[in-house]
Amino acid sequence: MKPERSILPQHTITYVFLTLLGLFVVFPMLIAVSQSFMTNQEVNRWPPQIIPVEPTLQAIHSVLTQQDLRLDLWLRNSLIAATGYTAAVLVLCAPAAFAFARLRFPGNNILFGFLLVTIMIPSQVTLIPNYLLMRDLQWLDTFNALVFPGAANVFGVFLLRQFFIQVPSDLEEAAVLDGAGYFGRFWHVILPLSRNALTALGIFVFLFHYNDLFWPFIVTNSLETRTLPVGLAILNSSYAGQYRPMVLSGAVLSSIPILIVYIIFQRQIIQGITLTGMGGR
Amino acid sequence: MNSKSISGNGVKGRLTLTLKSRETLAAYAFLAPFMVFFSIFVVRAGVEAVRMSFYDWHILRPMRPYIGIDNYVELINDKVWWISLQNTVVFTALTVVGTTIVALAAAVAVTRPIKGQSFFRVLLYMPSLLSVGAVGLIWVWLLNTQFGIINYGLSFLGIRPVNWLGDPGLVIPSLSLTTIWWGFGFPMLIFIAGLQGIPEQLYEAARIDGGSNRDLFLYITLPLLRPTILFVTVTGVISHFQVYGQPFIMTTGGPGRSSYSLIFYLYQIAWTAFRMGYGAAVAVCIAVIMAVMTSVQFIVLSRRIEY
Repeated sequence: MKPERSILPQHTITYVFLTLLGLFVVFPMLIAVSQSFMTNQEVNRWPPQIIPVEPTLQAIHSVLTQQDLRLDLWLRNSLIAATGYTAAVLVLCAPAAFAFARLRFPGNNILFGFLLVTIMIPSQVTLIPNYLLMRDLQWLDTFNALVFPGAANVFGVFLLRQFFIQVPSDLEEAAVLDGAGYFGRFWHVILPLSRNALTALGIFVFLFHYNDLFWPFIVTNSLETRTLPVGLAILNSSYAGQYRPMVLSGAVLSSIPILIVYIIFQRQIIQGITLTGMGGR
Repeated sequence: MNSKSISGNGVKGRLTLTLKSRETLAAYAFLAPFMVFFSIFVVRAGVEAVRMSFYDWHILRPMRPYIGIDNYVELINDKVWWISLQNTVVFTALTVVGTTIVALAAAVAVTRPIKGQSFFRVLLYMPSLLSVGAVGLIWVWLLNTQFGIINYGLSFLGIRPVNWLGDPGLVIPSLSLTTIWWGFGFPMLIFIAGLQGIPEQLYEAARIDGGSNRDLFLYITLPLLRPTILFVTVTGVISHFQVYGQPFIMTTGGPGRSSYSLIFYLYQIAWTAFRMGYGAAVAVCIAVIMAVMTSVQFIVLSRRIEY
């Protein structure tokens, strides 16, 4: 039973509020887009220009062609690292969550309780030792350093366990009668029935990693291995003073891929984020 | 292997034991990959951080003498630590309160039975997808004193240019405003889910009794949303307490140290000054503070189940 949607006058306040909030959200992005097409003189002008008088591609061109900026590589690195990280999280967390949710073994509750306690220990405490480990393994400046240290994601185990527990057990019993072993139960029953949860967790950790700044910043140090967020920080520190529109066009260009993906998969992304957020309770 | 040879006996008691031990073996096999990574990158790293915090561990020096609790003593007397802590607490408080209010208002508006619901939902979540780099670069320029759009807008109200990021008293609220813009989408989605869980009949009944929209919000929505509000605020506290990117990109901690956050300071110690031992002590203290806050979260959240 869905209430009918309308544009009645009683909703005027709602519309006014949503329009204002929408402007608050969109305006900064539009300004950045607009200023990407300006020259340095035009950006540094009072009163500020909202729309470029003589649109130019100069800033965008320089961001894409400067020797010390590699947006293409940074985007590629971000995609590879976030994809690898997401895969690693799912590959590690799903079997562990299956064991906690569906198998009886000595120490199940104690071990799971221990994992839960470690959720309370923030990752910052592991930063320095893990950084030194990356250095000793000579993993600095490699994808290994971006993918593996955070892959044992306790929240992921917790979340997937919640969903695996809800899968009706008669389905699994039927599979056992058909001769399925433990792996068969996991692979052919639990995983296909938890596709939503796996997708949700995947989207969540992908976006988290794709936008992460701190860890990629400390474990990468050459131009070719940086990720997009780190690259933007570099772009800012080297060009903000010289040529402001370049910095803005860098911010805009770097955001376009994720926004395109968002517009295509908006429903899945919003559902996935909501599901993950709710699952944490 | 082992279990198979035992099951050859065919004794019933043995057989159940065997099934059990097979299940145990399977469970450990499923857990093993995760536990290997977990042990190395979480358990070992955590223990190692605590150990390092008792050493004078400088990355460029071969000698790393044990110094007991000296790092912690230094921390207590470290003015920058206390400034960073204060900045972080103020930032967290402003951001969490602001985010929660904006997110709740947005969620209420977006769940009204109006046309364009999903359009607004998709639109309002958009900033959350941007990286902190992009957000920071966009907002630095909006907040610019001389040429910023925000000061331009305020000039119509007769307000003289405000030095948003350069004034020690305004820099934290400015970073907070930026963060609210960036981050209210996630709590909004959680609130939407919470609001959809409130049965429509409650509202209908209240309307029949002559309740105004304001009454409905105050006496139905808010009380029933209490658990969601708690969840949003406590997770918000945890995540905003770890703020790093905004000061790093937008102010590099300045002016002076007015926008140093705890994690930003940790970065300075460990990766600019290369003092890994002292950095570990700082990290341990940040971890303890956050663990206490998270425990409070767990207590508060589990209490709601009773009611």
